Amino acid sequence: MDYVERDARNHALRLRFSFTPHTLVGKSVETLRQFAAGNDPSTAQPILQQLIDAVTKPVRPTEKMQDVRKEAHPRLVEANTEENLQRLFLESGWTDGLPVVLPTEARVAEMLTGTDHDPNEVMGEMTITTNQEKFLFTVEKVAVNAVMAGAKPEHLPVILALASMKEPAFPSSTTSFGRMVMVNGPIRDEIGMNYGTGALSPFNFANSVIGRAWTLMTINLGDTRLGETFMGSQGNSLNYNNMCCAENEEKSVWEPFHVQKGFKADESVVSVFRGWSFINSMGAPNRRGAHEETAILLKSFCAIRSAATLVMDPLVARGLKEQHGFDTKKSLTKWLSENVKIPAKQYWGADLIYAFMEPLAREGVEPYATWSKLPPDELLAPYNEPENISIVVVGGETNPLWLTTDQWYTASASIDKWKPKKAPQPSGSNCKPLRMPTGSLCSDGTCEVP
Amino acid sequence: MASSVSEKAALLAVLNPQGQPTGAIKALDLAPRLASLQGKTVYLLDIGFGGGFEFLQATEEFLTKKIPSVKTVLKRKPGNMLQDTPEFWADVKANAHAVIFGVGG
Repeated sequence: MDYVERDARNHALRLRFSFTPHTLVGKSVETLRQFAAGNDPSTAQPILQQLIDAVTKPVRPTEKMQDVRKEAHPRLVEANTEENLQRLFLESGWTDGLPVVLPTEARVAEMLTGTDHDPNEVMGEMTITTNQEKFLFTVEKVAVNAVMAGAKPEHLPVILALASMKEPAFPSSTTSFGRMVMVNGPIRDEIGMNYGTGALSPFNFANSVIGRAWTLMTINLGDTRLGETFMGSQGNSLNYNNMCCAENEEKSVWEPFHVQKGFKADESVVSVFRGWSFINSMGAPNRRGAHEETAILLKSFCAIRSAATLVMDPLVARGLKEQHGFDTKKSLTKWLSENVKIPAKQYWGADLIYAFMEPLAREGVEPYATWSKLPPDELLAPYNEPENISIVVVGGETNPLWLTTDQWYTASASIDKWKPKKAPQPSGSNCKPLRMPTGSLCSDGTCEVP
Repeated sequence: MASSVSEKAALLAVLNPQGQPTGAIKALDLAPRLASLQGKTVYLLDIGFGGGFEFLQATEEFLTKKIPSVKTVLKRKPGNMLQDTPEFWADVKANAHAVIFGVGG
């Protein structure tokens, strides 16, 4: 409970707080009445009298707040040994807990060959909380975090495009958000991204460092401080890499995601999504189509914003089109919107639905106003806005499997805007781009497997 | 302080990865307190997290029993908790002597 007080002080507000036993959500009305009649557990004083005192007892001198002022920091950290700097970065909360590539001036200068933009160009501000002070960042600051993530100059345009959206990888919430990064367009192959087998697993250099760079930018450019600005009760392991991958446009039977969002097919684009979790299909669809299976899985989510994102292997997409007639992504999302139905009590019983959708019902916005009056067991179709269900095709066709996520699409940004006129040259004695093994994934006959 | 060439050579200068603060957050003082709640209007405001409204309903009941002359106004904030609602705040500022915000959850 004290984090609420600390949060208020971060905003230079010295409010008078009283606390009930935690939590209120899910408690019966009788229990809540007992709380109101009882004591504040942090003070052992009757809460009602405490509330009266809060608005009647005079303000004390100790309750005067000073302005909260954070000082600007120098561009360079005080010089030190590698070992001491790794310790400094870790202990300062500037990392994700893993060793980083220290951002020396030489490394950052090399990273900046990945764009023609001025290092001092102000890109914007970021914060992980909605109403906290934002931190200002430049192209150079993004490059610093890209170096730390282990990225190379060829990755910088994607990382800059991510940063340009000014969205944190883990917005602060006790619910612990998790996000996804999806890349489309020619850049996927230019920098060797994986959108086939194992795309979401740690087998690809570009996927790994781009996802990690967003995490580090969020920590350092978004003023992430555990227990001060980040309050996720459990945290979310998606925060390490943000499901960073690319769409398998070549194997998809549908139009690429970025084309759906109005970009040209030959444009390189990064898109981001936001939610919490995903459900693996846990096997291929057998006695029912993948759309019917997905309809079952979607009932597990609270359907906030009528949103979901399906990340499906090309085999799933092909089966849905060829066997079940879903010629477009839109036709599938329309079917899901019409056919996923849950009881009204399940819908309104979710705390986030109560917090975000019930105000709409109170204001008379349909269909929520009508839904709020339904008998508890009457069915409603919570994914009422099919345009909020996104579909991306990712995977290597080892089996028709997919992920059903509660994430909603938030934004896309052009990567091309950040690419340099002349592609950066790989450095080092090898002078070849860094690539991880791609495994024995033969599609051209050279593996001699019939 | 490094005492040898080899120790000096091992010192690295690196860039600070953090964004820069954009300015001071100005402190807001607490409003002066009321001498008592006798005859005053207290708004009890629920911002929309679970359990908050029902808790405030009970608080309203106990408050009016304890101080019969107090006038209480129990309201749910319009919109969700992340939306600014200037008209609502104007109503509160114009009509309430004191406000108790309820943050459930």
